[in-house]
Amino acid sequence: MQQFTVYKIGPEIKIAGVDLSFTNASLFMVVSTTIIIAFLYFGSRERKIIPSKIQLITEMLYNFVAKMISDTAGSKAKPYFPFIFSLFLFVLICNMVGMLPYSFTVTSHIIVTLIMALFIFVAVTIIGFVKHGFKYLNIFVPSGVPAVLLPLITVIEIISYLSRPVSLSVRLFANMMAGHTMLKVFGGFVVSLGILGGWLPLSFSVALTGLEILVAFLQAYVFAILTCIYLNDALNLHH
Amino acid sequence: MRNLLGILIIAIAINTSLFAAEAGMPQLDPKYWASQAFWLILVFTVLYISISKFYLPKIKYSLNNRENKIKDDLEDANKFNDQSEKKIKEYETIMENAKKDVAKIYLESKNILDKDIQTKKIKIEKEIENEILKAQKEIIELKKNSISSIQIISKDIASKIIENISGERLNESSIKAAVEEVSKKNIGKYL
Repeated sequence: MQQFTVYKIGPEIKIAGVDLSFTNASLFMVVSTTIIIAFLYFGSRERKIIPSKIQLITEMLYNFVAKMISDTAGSKAKPYFPFIFSLFLFVLICNMVGMLPYSFTVTSHIIVTLIMALFIFVAVTIIGFVKHGFKYLNIFVPSGVPAVLLPLITVIEIISYLSRPVSLSVRLFANMMAGHTMLKVFGGFVVSLGILGGWLPLSFSVALTGLEILVAFLQAYVFAILTCIYLNDALNLHH
Repeated sequence: MRNLLGILIIAIAINTSLFAAEAGMPQLDPKYWASQAFWLILVFTVLYISISKFYLPKIKYSLNNRENKIKDDLEDANKFNDQSEKKIKEYETIMENAKKDVAKIYLESKNILDKDIQTKKIKIEKEIENEILKAQKEIIELKKNSISSIQIISKDIASKIIENISGERLNESSIKAAVEEVSKKNIGKYL
């Protein structure tokens, strides 16, 4: 679990008695953001009719996220496109950077994912109330439910709505942590079994690395698409 | 295989005891939570602003640019296609007219030529007929003339023959009458 420890880099920064020091977690957040910004900078520097390779990648990414939003949340979600685009890229690159040896996985910390999920939850709730007023509470009362079941369903709906930030944050955090822990366990097997028996866990390790890269992408995608779905609930009141 | 499995189980036991030493999840240690939250918000805000203000408009611009260019090119292509179709139609009508003209000219010239040939033929036929008539007249004339000269010749021959055979001269007029009689009887036979 040593790979998940957070330690201070540089001097201690304390503001109003709260420790806000620059840590290795902060460092890798900055690294991921720098990678994203550099990538987008080179991808959007030339605006050619026939795109260069990196320009093509950024444009495909743009279209990918745009399609994801319009498919799940409709055209009303267009103003939130930059946020979801940034969120997707941030989670994706943080996950991917975490796959490098000796790096730190920002998204494997519950506090990071929880803050993102809470922000999304609060923002979506505010958007819902701003767009629909108190009618937004209809989201807890699905239509077409027998009157007898209605109190029960409403309670369940409220619980499921309130558990959204928890499920969203824990899903990402647990996936990233479990994957890295598993890789570490198999790495440990390779060392302890030595040159004779180490080959089997080593091959597992290699396969798991591929799986983890898939998971890193998938979890970023899931995080973004769930945000879109929550946004869709707030924008288009279906019930 | 069983040996390998045994080794694996032992290794798991060793490893779990190893992990036990550093037990506890660093994620649940609240020491740096505030710091992580602070840096996350700071970094993500910077990322969000730079993406939404600088990069997305640029990417969108180039995508729109390409879409417009493709649309324009397609429109141009359609326009040119229409134009070429129009030109082909024009060409076809011109060709049709030309064919009609050719047919007309052919017919006209054929008619003119036919008439010309007909008139010339009639003229020549008339000329030929005239010539034939003339020739026939001449022949008839000749025939008439030849009858009298034949009569004279035959009278002379007859008188000579008679003179040679009998040694005497006959009356001219009686010979003449005999020749005329013979020739009258048989002239149709020879002429």
